[in-house]
Amino acid sequence: MIEEILNAWQRPEPPAQQEEMGFFTDVTLCIGCKACEVACKQWNQLPADGFHWTGNSYDNTVALSDTTWRHVAFVEQLGNGDGTPDRWLMMSDVCKHCVQAPCQEACPTGSIIYNEFGNVYVQQDICNGCGYCVAACPFGVLDRNREDGRAHKCTLCYDRQKDGLVPACAKHCPTASIKFGPLKELRQIARRRVEELHERGQREAYLYGAEPAGEYSALSAFFLLTDKPSVYNLPEAPRRPRAHMKTNYLLSFGAAVGLAAVSAILFGRGR
Amino acid sequence: MSTETKQQQQSARDTAKSPWLPEFTPASDIVRYAVAQTAGSAAGEEQEGYYGVPMLKQPKWGWEIALYFFCEGVSSGSFLMATLAELTGKGRYRRLSHAGYYTSFMALLPCPPLLIADLGRPERFHHMLRVFKPTSPMNLGAWALAGYSLPLTLIAGRQLTWDGPLSFEPLKSASKLIPARLLGLLGIPFALTMISYPGVLLSTTSTPVWSKSRFVGALIACSSVSTGAAAVSLALSRNGDRPAQERLEKIENLARLCEGAALAAYLTTAGDAARPLTEGHYKWHFWLGAVGAGLILPTLVGARGPSKEQKKSRASTVIKSALTLAGGLALKWAIVYAGKRSAVDVEATRNATRPSESAPGWVASKQTASQG
Repeated sequence: MIEEILNAWQRPEPPAQQEEMGFFTDVTLCIGCKACEVACKQWNQLPADGFHWTGNSYDNTVALSDTTWRHVAFVEQLGNGDGTPDRWLMMSDVCKHCVQAPCQEACPTGSIIYNEFGNVYVQQDICNGCGYCVAACPFGVLDRNREDGRAHKCTLCYDRQKDGLVPACAKHCPTASIKFGPLKELRQIARRRVEELHERGQREAYLYGAEPAGEYSALSAFFLLTDKPSVYNLPEAPRRPRAHMKTNYLLSFGAAVGLAAVSAILFGRGR
Repeated sequence: MSTETKQQQQSARDTAKSPWLPEFTPASDIVRYAVAQTAGSAAGEEQEGYYGVPMLKQPKWGWEIALYFFCEGVSSGSFLMATLAELTGKGRYRRLSHAGYYTSFMALLPCPPLLIADLGRPERFHHMLRVFKPTSPMNLGAWALAGYSLPLTLIAGRQLTWDGPLSFEPLKSASKLIPARLLGLLGIPFALTMISYPGVLLSTTSTPVWSKSRFVGALIACSSVSTGAAAVSLALSRNGDRPAQERLEKIENLARLCEGAALAAYLTTAGDAARPLTEGHYKWHFWLGAVGAGLILPTLVGARGPSKEQKKSRASTVIKSALTLAGGLALKWAIVYAGKRSAVDVEATRNATRPSESAPGWVASKQTASQG
């Protein structure tokens, strides 16, 4: 029994570090079948979102949320008759699994961690639903579930990866628009794909999140896009919330300490 | 729409009870919001962005956090006043520090319940203290609150057994062992953290109204000091310790001046990200409450100068302090709730994430300019 009590204070060895894994989502291959959405819901046993008819092309899931971890965006672009072709863009959006994730940096309980595959993971037995990650995420990925009070997002199928399986969405993608694999390899594949597309004349193809951009880190789930990020409801240049934390603290503490010092002088002077 | 939604929720709850039907969760707030906003918008409409769907999720924080920021500001501000008066005043401000510690303790009492009530899983509140993680201002704040409550509770307990309702013998002699001055000194760094961290917590997010400017932290810090001084001054107004009140008034005025400067700096640096404060639903809280009642009116009342009649001067102190407190509450209320509006302000969000030198982003290079 004493042993049992002592065990409660012992932390188990963390799992050995594995090769960093991630997603590469190539929008030029997406056909908008939503198999990823369905596979994700099924594998992760996510509840239905209700049935909203938005009238926004074929998109009725609207955005990523606590119960939608893959979301296919549909953009209809009509070419005004001036020679630009009509386009129907589709893109399967997902948690970006930032290499330096604002949600992980914000989480006050240590619930959000980088797991052994380098993915950002919310430990559901620790999350207490403070909502800081919801406000911190620059992509609007995380949300707090109103039924169970905790934050949820894509786990990059941590459970499947532990068993050596491919995440559900990548497994089900019929056109290999969603690719899963070691990040190093994925980045090479992605660069080759951009070159290939440029050679074929699709000059607008570029990678979103394959490399760090200034203060913001690279994304472990990065994308090949063919239009501005804002067209897919992605920020053009996300900011890292922590980048200015020191300045904020400096100004804030400066004001507090300054006022305290003046107060001390005022109280110290004789009557 | 609301009755329909309620009916939907009710039927959802009914189906959830059935063992063989899958659990049905109503869509998240942002999806509801987006559907309500975009319903009926013509497909292919020329606009930047994605059907006007917000890029960010709305922060979850509401009245609990707004009230908490106010209470902890009053508490830590008056703790600071009481302790500094006690440590540097050479015994001249006994009544001030006495009233100050009581005010501080009373304002601290609602803080933990408010914070716990705000959580999605209130029973897990202690998870905040399972790690020490200063990279998260919320974690730092939780530790500061814990570290701050201990000395304050001991000092307030000592006062209660000394001349308060707990003043009977065994307790009274036991309370002599509590080193109040030392505890006050130890509490100062925690109180300063309590004053400084809330604004930094809000700034370390992606919500434009909070994160765009560097001055939210300083603004809230100044407001906490001014409301703290105002609360002590109000508590002290009954026993008419004029010299102490004059000092407090000076501090309050100075803090208000700094608050005004921080507010001006905030408004100029935030640009269109400040819209949820200056326009729309919370403009009354902001302009009438925070700026009018909190900054302008107390300055006008104070500008009349000290009256020779004691009654009049006491009345003006009470009015000034009450206005400062009301303004502080309005400011914190408006700032916290503006976050919800700011997250769905699609234009401001897009402008806040335009490429800059420090954050060039991943936009298509010029040679491969997009066709949109």
